[in-house]
Amino acid sequence: MARERDAKREIEMAQRPLAHENAMITRRECVAPGFWCVGFRAPRIAGAVRAAQYVAIDQPGRFAVRLPLGIWTAEGDEITVLFREWGERTAQLAHSDIGTAVDLIGPLGNDFTIPARGARATIVAGGLGVVPFWLLGKRLLAADVQTRVVLGARTAALLVGAAELRALGLNVELCTDDGTAGTRGSVLDALDSEPPADIVYGCGPPNMLRALSKRCVAANMPCEISMEETFGCSMGTCWGCVVPVRRGAKQGSGYPKAHAESRDFDYSRVCFDGTVYAAADLVWSA
Amino acid sequence: MTELARERIDPTTRIGKSELKNFVIAASGCYNRGAEFGRVTDVSAYGAITLKSVTLQPRLGNGMPRVLPAPAGLLNAIGLQGPGIEHFLAHDAPHLREVQTAVIASVAGFSVAEFAEVAARMDGLPNVVAIELDVSCPNVDREGECFAANPESTADVVRAVKARVRLPVIAKLTPNVTDVKPIARAAESAGADAISLINAVRGMAIDVARSQPWLANVSGGLTGPAIRPIAVLAVWEAAQAVRIPIIGMGGIETGRDALEFVLAGASAVAIGTANFRNPDVAALVADALVDAAAERGLTSVRALVGSANPSFAGERSH
Repeated sequence: MARERDAKREIEMAQRPLAHENAMITRRECVAPGFWCVGFRAPRIAGAVRAAQYVAIDQPGRFAVRLPLGIWTAEGDEITVLFREWGERTAQLAHSDIGTAVDLIGPLGNDFTIPARGARATIVAGGLGVVPFWLLGKRLLAADVQTRVVLGARTAALLVGAAELRALGLNVELCTDDGTAGTRGSVLDALDSEPPADIVYGCGPPNMLRALSKRCVAANMPCEISMEETFGCSMGTCWGCVVPVRRGAKQGSGYPKAHAESRDFDYSRVCFDGTVYAAADLVWSA
Repeated sequence: MTELARERIDPTTRIGKSELKNFVIAASGCYNRGAEFGRVTDVSAYGAITLKSVTLQPRLGNGMPRVLPAPAGLLNAIGLQGPGIEHFLAHDAPHLREVQTAVIASVAGFSVAEFAEVAARMDGLPNVVAIELDVSCPNVDREGECFAANPESTADVVRAVKARVRLPVIAKLTPNVTDVKPIARAAESAGADAISLINAVRGMAIDVARSQPWLANVSGGLTGPAIRPIAVLAVWEAAQAVRIPIIGMGGIETGRDALEFVLAGASAVAIGTANFRNPDVAALVADALVDAAAERGLTSVRALVGSANPSFAGERSH
């Protein structure tokens, strides 16, 4: 059984459109302190991308591996990425000139499940966890899914993406830990105020995702989470970016458990098998 | 010396009795069976691909985080996550027929007997032309101590495996030693058909914001261009110590990089981390080696092997 799933998944992954293309930086904007939005002219990726997918960026310089960044928007020939400047690769990208050539592989990774027409969906995003939700929001609107977006951050200055989501026609509720924008409190508090959704989508810091995941699983509410990890290869070959999933989860390695192994979970490659997981498959206690 | 047409240059090499169509091999732990990279490149540009190391028992591997980009490199501590030989034979081995080039199986173990057992079961699988012994993984043994840390334990593993398999056996050596030469000689004396080096260089990074080691395993192995000069020296010295073919690796990104290893004495080169930046690196390197031979008026890439190394002990080809 595990093998049939593996084989099926490999075929599915192999059939996904994947482009390796020369792209050019088309725009660059500081959207919050240390947060940047950079655009690329990349027609093949822009034409194929789905929500929660990412692009692996090779830029000039002494970098051993590509920089993987989640795709924020895709319109016409252009995609954008929204990221925080924190290491050498993100710093170089944030300060590159418009017109700089970069080499992109994408779109990589799986995407979210879209519910039936008329369903109710809630998107819960923390900080830069907003990234997968421009594409998802657009898709849900097109599918006539009633969509509510709850977007939170530590403080007002770090809330990014709300204007772009509203421009799509989405209803966006804001909250901040310090009350400087929207409701004071966490995105999870905002979940209490409404009737349950048919599906919940989450992306953000690990603590928020753990809490969201546990709540949805306890309430028996379908929930999908886009996970983040530090990637090595971005292609599924180095096994550097795994997350623990329950044994038998279809995105796990499917490898048997060793007799001497005390840990009772499986590992899944976020870069290749994810980044989207059913909350019920994720193991948070590992 | 006249430049020869590229078509007249013999690009092949030999690892023991196995011939490879070119000098360029995908390094272990970086390429799976090639299906993932096959989505963006032609995997058959490789003369061979090396599988991720297989152990006797399944292994979940190290906790997270496992990787961290480093200056001109990648620090990793995966910990040999893998299916174990039973699951590998049942589920992965049948797909080896689909690989578009030759395959080198990689074996890891925690005892001499484990190496011999797993290697014996890999012998004769479809497309497999050699067996590499990962006696040098930096991320699974206490204090970085591995079989390749000393000549005797290296020889013990090689000898036990050679008694059980027909395919050529490659001992993959570590740079994390004072002197690689006696270890290379021990592998050769024990019957290894080739050696490959270097495995990752031990290293670590500290997350200063949290005041703790970055990697869950604390220490890891550094790969990528940062380690290339370390690797070139290791190949240079090993090539003066043994006659068997050497597969050189460590930070190769371009044809020029690969040529350094070949001139030092490598009869093949392996590429790992560079695939993560440039998936087309194999074709680039293979073509460049042929060009280098052509420019020097040589009829084969093999004729380049060891030509910068006055004390090269291997077989010279003309």
